[in-house]
Amino acid sequence: MRCMVPSNDPAWLAQLRRGSVEHCVLALLRQGERYGFDLARTLADTGGLIASEGTIYPLLARLRRNGLVETTWRESVEGPPRRYYRLTEDGALALSDFIHEWKRFQVAVNSILEQDSAA
Amino acid sequence: MNTRSASDLAIDHYLAELDSALGSLPASRRNQILDEVREHIGEGRALLDVEDESSISALLERIGEPETIAAEAGAVHEVDESRRRDAWVPWLLLLGGIPSAAFWLLGIGWILGVGFLWASVRWRLSDKLIGTLVLPGGLLPFVLLLVRPVGANSCESHGGPGVPTVTHCTSSGLMLAPAIGIPLFIVLLVAPVFTLLWLRRDPHST
Repeated sequence: MRCMVPSNDPAWLAQLRRGSVEHCVLALLRQGERYGFDLARTLADTGGLIASEGTIYPLLARLRRNGLVETTWRESVEGPPRRYYRLTEDGALALSDFIHEWKRFQVAVNSILEQDSAA
Repeated sequence: MNTRSASDLAIDHYLAELDSALGSLPASRRNQILDEVREHIGEGRALLDVEDESSISALLERIGEPETIAAEAGAVHEVDESRRRDAWVPWLLLLGGIPSAAFWLLGIGWILGVGFLWASVRWRLSDKLIGTLVLPGGLLPFVLLLVRPVGANSCESHGGPGVPTVTHCTSSGLMLAPAIGIPLFIVLLVAPVFTLLWLRRDPHST
């Protein structure tokens, strides 16, 4: 289905991002710890998930305050030490809840959208 | 012209702008974001093939407008600032009305709670309506029912052989049939407690 009205920064898209990007960060940490720059580049390159690379830092700070991620400093081969982020137990739980709900949400939205296009 | 120092100047300028955009945040939080953005710039800079004005400005552009970053941080700031007061709100709504059962004072605590509830950014409109309407006075209606004058029934029967018996009953106090009274009792207790738990849920990120 094609959107007839082009809009530059629709509010719904910002809300959709806002609601899901934190959990995308958690999902990126599922395989192991990563540092901020790496997370920022990955999300920015995925496209459309974050407004700009820098916005990930307030987001990471929020995840950390909520106890969903924690940080450790690690030496790096090529430069100064890096701050690595990793999932906490609460973070892993929050992520699996999100995945469950997201799947249901996706199915629900798709079923409505497909109904609409069939009509 | 020394390109290295020109890059440093551009970065300093960017970080100064970010610092001022983050101005309303507590210093610790502002510094943390600044530190991480500074580290990010360092990482990105190390990856540049050629370091010049345009590559540095492209790097900073990818990081984004200081205002965009501040907006991402600022929405949270608002919530945090009032969080301490917000913690009182569910309890004020639950218990704040009760003193008026014993003293003929207004339920000041409850009214205060409603004021804080509506001023807060933590709850959505639907939460605020629940907090206000379920139930006004919190546990006050329950307590009032608990301490009400006990209802009494007195009946007199007149009659005799050959005369239809007539029974007069009078009630005093507030009478409630158990079929109404017990559910009412439960609702008046459970509804405010439900509201307490509802308002104490983890806030959705705003």
